[in-house]
Amino acid sequence: MKKTNRILTILIFAFLYLPMLVLVVASFNTGKNLTIFEGFTLDQYKALFQDKDLLALLGNSLLISILSTAIATAFGTFSAVGIHSMKPRLRKTVMSLTNIPMTNPDIVTGISLSLLFVFIGSALLHQKESLNFWTLLIAHITFNLPYVILNVMPKLKQMNPALQDAAMDLGCTPVQSFFKVTLHEIMPGIVSGAIMAFTMSLDDFVISYFVSGNGFLTLPVEIYSYTKKPMQPRVYAMFTLLFLLIFVLMVAMNLLQIRSDRKKLIKQVKPVSSRQKTFRRVCAIACAIAILLGCGWLILSTRQNKVTLNVMNWGQNIADGSDGTLDIIAAFEEKYPDIDVNYTTYDSNESLYAKLAGGGLTVDLIIPSDYMIARLKQENMLLPLNFDNIPNYKYVQEAFKNTAYDPENKYSVPYTWGTVGIIYNAKFVDEADVTGWELLWNEKYKGKILQFDNSRDAFGVAQFLSGISINTTDAEELRQSANKLAEQNPLVRQYVMDQIYSIMEGENAWIAPYYAGDCMMMMDANPDLRFYLPEEQGFNLFIDAMCIPTCSENKDAAEKFINFLCEPEISGANMDYICYGSPIEGARDYMDEYLAESDVIYPDQSILDKGVSYLFLPAETNRLMDNLFMEIRIAGQQPEEEEEASALPVVLTLSGLAAAAALLFLPKRKHK
Amino acid sequence: MEFDGERILDGINLYFNDKEFLTLLGPSGCGKTTTLRIIGGFLTPTSGRVLFDGKCINDVPAYERQINTVFQRYALFPHLDVYGNIAFGLKVAKLPKEEIQKRVQDILSVVGLTGFEHRSIDSLSGGQQQRVAIARALVNRPKVLLLDEPLAALDLRLRKDMQNELKRIQQAMGITFIYVTHDQEEALSMSDTVVVMDKGRIQQIGKPEDIYNEPKNAFVADFIGESNILDGIMLSDYKVKFFGRVFDCVDAGFAPNEPVDVVIRPEDIDFVPAGEGHLVGTVTSVTFKGLNYDIIVDFRGFKWLIQTTDYHSEGETVGIRLNPEDIHIMHKSEYSGMFGDYSSYSAEYDELTEDADNEEE
Repeated sequence: MKKTNRILTILIFAFLYLPMLVLVVASFNTGKNLTIFEGFTLDQYKALFQDKDLLALLGNSLLISILSTAIATAFGTFSAVGIHSMKPRLRKTVMSLTNIPMTNPDIVTGISLSLLFVFIGSALLHQKESLNFWTLLIAHITFNLPYVILNVMPKLKQMNPALQDAAMDLGCTPVQSFFKVTLHEIMPGIVSGAIMAFTMSLDDFVISYFVSGNGFLTLPVEIYSYTKKPMQPRVYAMFTLLFLLIFVLMVAMNLLQIRSDRKKLIKQVKPVSSRQKTFRRVCAIACAIAILLGCGWLILSTRQNKVTLNVMNWGQNIADGSDGTLDIIAAFEEKYPDIDVNYTTYDSNESLYAKLAGGGLTVDLIIPSDYMIARLKQENMLLPLNFDNIPNYKYVQEAFKNTAYDPENKYSVPYTWGTVGIIYNAKFVDEADVTGWELLWNEKYKGKILQFDNSRDAFGVAQFLSGISINTTDAEELRQSANKLAEQNPLVRQYVMDQIYSIMEGENAWIAPYYAGDCMMMMDANPDLRFYLPEEQGFNLFIDAMCIPTCSENKDAAEKFINFLCEPEISGANMDYICYGSPIEGARDYMDEYLAESDVIYPDQSILDKGVSYLFLPAETNRLMDNLFMEIRIAGQQPEEEEEASALPVVLTLSGLAAAAALLFLPKRKHK
Repeated sequence: MEFDGERILDGINLYFNDKEFLTLLGPSGCGKTTTLRIIGGFLTPTSGRVLFDGKCINDVPAYERQINTVFQRYALFPHLDVYGNIAFGLKVAKLPKEEIQKRVQDILSVVGLTGFEHRSIDSLSGGQQQRVAIARALVNRPKVLLLDEPLAALDLRLRKDMQNELKRIQQAMGITFIYVTHDQEEALSMSDTVVVMDKGRIQQIGKPEDIYNEPKNAFVADFIGESNILDGIMLSDYKVKFFGRVFDCVDAGFAPNEPVDVVIRPEDIDFVPAGEGHLVGTVTSVTFKGLNYDIIVDFRGFKWLIQTTDYHSEGETVGIRLNPEDIHIMHKSEYSGMFGDYSSYSAEYDELTEDADNEEE
């Protein structure tokens, strides 16, 4: 019995700490592959401390957490004292009211706060940018408060009420008696409440995501948008440091507790001289000031009193100086010292659209994909560019002018382009089978095939195979495409986006359709991987282009940035990092040879002519496509009777919920 | 004084003299702690006035009154050491440091805790904590010290020592002590004046001897010591009739033929041979108590408690004689007929009343 217990304990600890161990090991790994430890290095830590953006984000997160914790702790403690002095019945009601926000789903809290802030900001205060540092801070204080109250209340209840009487008896006013006696008694509750609030605040993503403007982002919000490419190892390094910091803090706190417990047992307490006391106080204040100054410095070091250019781009879609690439933003800021680039990211065209449509933001430059540009243009969300400010437009290759999404070249300047092809593992896949998109339907490789986890790209693959236009709006044709995908479903191991890296590199799957640039990076990691473009059947050719949205406040600066990115040397250096094709004439000369010569990035022009771009589709088409795709993903069934099939689960879920609600609430009402 | 519409204190009219040791004595829920809290300023009376040196202090908050309190179970500050606790009030009053140090040292020697300055509160015994609590209150040199059942948490032996100690301190410092207890022995042995309370009213005020010897009603007679209380009729001054017999007594001033309560203290009764007694009865129970025997004697169905050093066995027929000074006469009151009958007497009687020491609120 004892033995089993011990084994169980060890297992539980392993379960709890193994993930941390993997993270720590990964942070010291020379290679980028998580599955193989190639050697010990501190490079990731070096890279971390050179990454100004990441440090600034960490600073933001710490500043918000510390400030919100401090304010919430003070407020919460006083509220708890107030609630404690209420009559029992009122106290109970108030306590349940304070507990509700804690059990409320974060997403509900986040969206309601965001709505409130935007309403107050834009409707009442007429601010252009209603989501900012202060809204984020208020939101964090809001969700931290209940944790503090919940931790302080029991200590107040445990406290001997005569202590307060005693203090007043000895001459304290009620306020003095709170600070001289009550505060000491409830301190453990305050400290544990503050620690809880701090950790909740530090890693909050959901609420922060909805209430932060792009002027001030926290670390978790930014990390979440790192989805287009694998996580940078320097992030592991940062998390390792964070984990260690928390770990050391907790151990230190426990040790202090043990020491003070032991002190209590020893009868003679060492007197603390007043000089020691002053010294301790000075130390504590110095620490607090140092932490605040540090956070402030982290933030201010990247942002001074200059024109701010708000750039919104895909995650990891600009060279940032890592791995010997050029730090594009730093180079731009060096060239234009009066412009400060505030760079934020999004993870899909659709989320970018949602952010812009939601309002409350100032964004000066965005880099959406072709079909999204068409949509934004159609909804009058883009400003026409002043090409006098963009002389380098002359370097843009003719092939990327007069595109379907911007036929008059008024709203956009191309940034990157790429293709969607097939990546496969030559070790397992017979070259003779690599003939076209049908490879993804080949029974021989059942369970080793991956498919896109977004409807547009997945339908695209099926449509190229079936000879249907990828921009079709015909319901019948869409259904045919869906049937094709349903047919493929039993062979598919997984529907993926960015998880594809580890699956393909780790050889857990052998065949997948994906974006050429990403494929290039995977091939870099695993030399058995090959890229194939089914030129006969056709493939998606996509362009990401720079546009200025209507909410811009610094159009001039944005145009300077566009012009800067169109310089062949800059564009070439940028492509070294993002691994896509540059639409800029001459950029190829500045790129790494292996990229410039790669036919994955730069296929022959004859092949490129076969590429087809996505067009903006009407909403109903998108919806139909989404529904059909969801059915395939979830059920894997034939999507013929899509109307009934989509209604049934909803009805079932709703009736289930209703039954549960009835069970929960009816007996309660009886008691009343 | 009312709480939630319930009358807790009624018609309390009390005078405290300078340098007096006054005790509020009564059973649980009699209102003695409430009275103390009103004096201390922790409660504001719904009606009536609290005067201090002739001035009404109803609106003076606790922290501005020249009164300090020793709380039930001490209420020492656990986050401070002995020195910190005692110096607390002086620091709040912002006295100079040297003065604080001197006064704390002085008071420590008064309560006999010199050398304990930097001990933590948790490391002290109950008696030591008690002394710290007293020192903490006294160091502020209050005009009045309130003590709320300060000895209730101590064991019997320690309680006796602390009683003497408290009395000594009170005399040494010359401060008015207002002391709350439910322990009649404690009250009698320490006080200059005892105030017996019940049901929110003062039942009797007087010196301990007067309270004991001349109880005003059946409640006081029963609560202070043991009493046999009988129905009687005051025929005239110095003549009372009970059990169908006329006795001489020392009380006068009653209306002729007024029905009265007659109190006879158990220790005042002398046994005589059955033939020579005023009354004759049968012993029904004998309990050895150390100093004496508690003997229950049945006189015509009415059972008396008699305390004596002579042994009489159960079933024995005994006679008693009553001297005039052994008989105390009281007016009838609301308590008449509720006390003084030992028909249900048992040895645990004493302990039962003492156990019920949970305080009123």
